[in-house]
Amino acid sequence: MDALYNTHVKLLAFDFLKLTNSSMDPSSFSRNGMRLSRAETLGFVVTWELKPNKFLKFSIDDGTGCIPCVLWLNQLNSPYFSRRNPSDVRLIADVAVKFASEIQLGVIASVRGRITGYRGALQITVSDVVIERDPNSQVLHWLDCIRLSRKCYDKLSKNTV
Amino acid sequence: MAASSVSSGALVMLEELNPSSPYFKQGASIRVTGKLQEFNVEVAVAVLVDGSATLKVDTQHLNLNLHMSSIYQFIGELQIDASNEAILKARVGRNVDGMDLNLYRQSLQLLRDFQADQNSSLTA
Repeated sequence: MDALYNTHVKLLAFDFLKLTNSSMDPSSFSRNGMRLSRAETLGFVVTWELKPNKFLKFSIDDGTGCIPCVLWLNQLNSPYFSRRNPSDVRLIADVAVKFASEIQLGVIASVRGRITGYRGALQITVSDVVIERDPNSQVLHWLDCIRLSRKCYDKLSKNTV
Repeated sequence: MAASSVSSGALVMLEELNPSSPYFKQGASIRVTGKLQEFNVEVAVAVLVDGSATLKVDTQHLNLNLHMSSIYQFIGELQIDASNEAILKARVGRNVDGMDLNLYRQSLQLLRDFQADQNSSLTA
């Protein structure tokens, strides 16, 4: 049931947007009974909203749906990070700023992060961003998602039901 | 553009954009792929071609350098006039030179089959 819990599962947007939230554990999401907490998507950046030193919200359109994403940029003034080593926090903040500078409307981005909910909608809280230069990367992502779903996720789900 | 909810651009090949197609609807959000055949600088309207099919694309909202015979993808909303002529009002676009269009076409069919399978297994 938890075999992929800490794995960044590659999901197409239409599949991601059907995940259900566990009422017992708000950080846990389920795909056909299989618990998940992290996901990876790839597609066009089609929306972009920056609140400097707070967050960058954007969405990824992979052709099957749009996944909202949030990249936090508040590491240097958030109490959440206050007990961590300042040099580590600075490093995390610098990486986040670098990612934010790369996310622009129209780029093809591969994004990894935690699956979270905000105001009843699913989103990815971003931990990694890679800007894809190869135009075939989208097709490869579709084929990866289809193969993994059929050969892995669906089989694991059947074993949990 | 604010990161509010936005419609996903349905993946469409240019030859599928005819008046009898389910994608050929006023305001439909679509993603198209094709080679740049013409570009009118004055009105920022491009013409994409794929095989014998063509589509006009309004690029006035984009900041994109267009090159003849390069391959582009655009996402936007379809506007259809009274004579059934369509133009895509593009929101985003990019050069995708190097894309394997045969692989894209075949993979799109696999993707559609997969989505249909997944949706039917949910309703079964």
